[in-house]
Amino acid sequence: MANTEASLKEAMSSIEGTTGVALVDYTSGMALGTLGGGKDFNLEVAAAGNTDVIRAKLRTMEHLGLKEEIEDILITLGTQYHLIRLLKTRGGNGLFLYLVLDSSRANLAMARHQLKKIEAELEV
Amino acid sequence: MSAIAADPDAPATDRLPVLSPMLQRLAAERATGALMRDRGTLYLADGQVVHAESPATPGIDVLLTTGGTLRHEGWWDAVAQAGAGRRVGRYLVDSGHVPGGALELCHLGALYDAAFFALAPTGTPARFRYGVAHWIGPVRPVPVAAVERETLRRREFLDRIWPDPACDSAPLLRTAHGPDAPVPARQRRLLELVDGVRTASDIAQALGRSAFHILVDLRRLAAAGLVAAVRAQPLPAAATPRRIPLPEVTADPDIALLRRLRDALEAL
Repeated sequence: MANTEASLKEAMSSIEGTTGVALVDYTSGMALGTLGGGKDFNLEVAAAGNTDVIRAKLRTMEHLGLKEEIEDILITLGTQYHLIRLLKTRGGNGLFLYLVLDSSRANLAMARHQLKKIEAELEV
Repeated sequence: MSAIAADPDAPATDRLPVLSPMLQRLAAERATGALMRDRGTLYLADGQVVHAESPATPGIDVLLTTGGTLRHEGWWDAVAQAGAGRRVGRYLVDSGHVPGGALELCHLGALYDAAFFALAPTGTPARFRYGVAHWIGPVRPVPVAAVERETLRRREFLDRIWPDPACDSAPLLRTAHGPDAPVPARQRRLLELVDGVRTASDIAQALGRSAFHILVDLRRLAAAGLVAAVRAQPLPAAATPRRIPLPEVTADPDIALLRRLRDALEAL
């Protein structure tokens, strides 16, 4: 069992290449916790903006009649990976973990695997 | 928005609207107590916000129990055991009723939700009672600046979705307009509770979801033309003379579209 701050710290320290991580409430776009980021990367702005990414994908799936759930979303930039992992919560509130990775140092397969483990420990 | 200027203790400034100068003063003097405003109460400890409550939002007990995180008996056990000592939150976690992470997130959700309504523009002056603490006890304090920033962000967010606040507080009804696109499951559950009587707050209580989440979904549904506020029937004398009266419900989608456009333009 971990509180949110501990989970964010674990993501930051155990996932190679992580430069920022946020736990975000998907409906309101509010970052419930952030770690890393900095002056040139505002995690709160990223958190709010990426809820639109998820919403667009969910809408498309509704249009297509797909009865699936999104596990994660990967966005590949020139020098960064952005990884969005949707969490299954008991209360049914949509939350997601948002991870910013330096692509020269990150191992994507490992990052996805570790993020899954952090989700399991978070118990939300 | 002009609504901010209507708040007597929040004089309008051009760039940074101040939600409550009193709250900022209390933060600066690291006050402990309860700030009671027209639509809710903020609890401070050492100048930080430790909890918030509003009649417009479901309390943390409703959020925890309706979602299935906690059974009702578990909640009442915690209140009985730790309520007097004002450590209900701590007790819920220590006794294994609720995982620490879940309590923290639920508490933050309830806090920001109630703060959004508590800091809404009001004509009534605020009061502060020093020394008052909430029985939930320490969970995770939040700086006043963060609460104010988030509240402003939420107002802008709602206005970006649909700039008409009519649906936020009035009883709601479904329009005759059918959906153009599939309605997401979460919004469908909300739509099922729209019955011409319930307000956004009633629906939040019934679903055990935060009231702000309901407002977000309602504004999306209003933007799609699926939900409208029940308007009080205007008295003939009180009716605005310049506006051409239109029937409130129409089956013609073009008329419905034009009316939504008119409403949106008026709300700008």
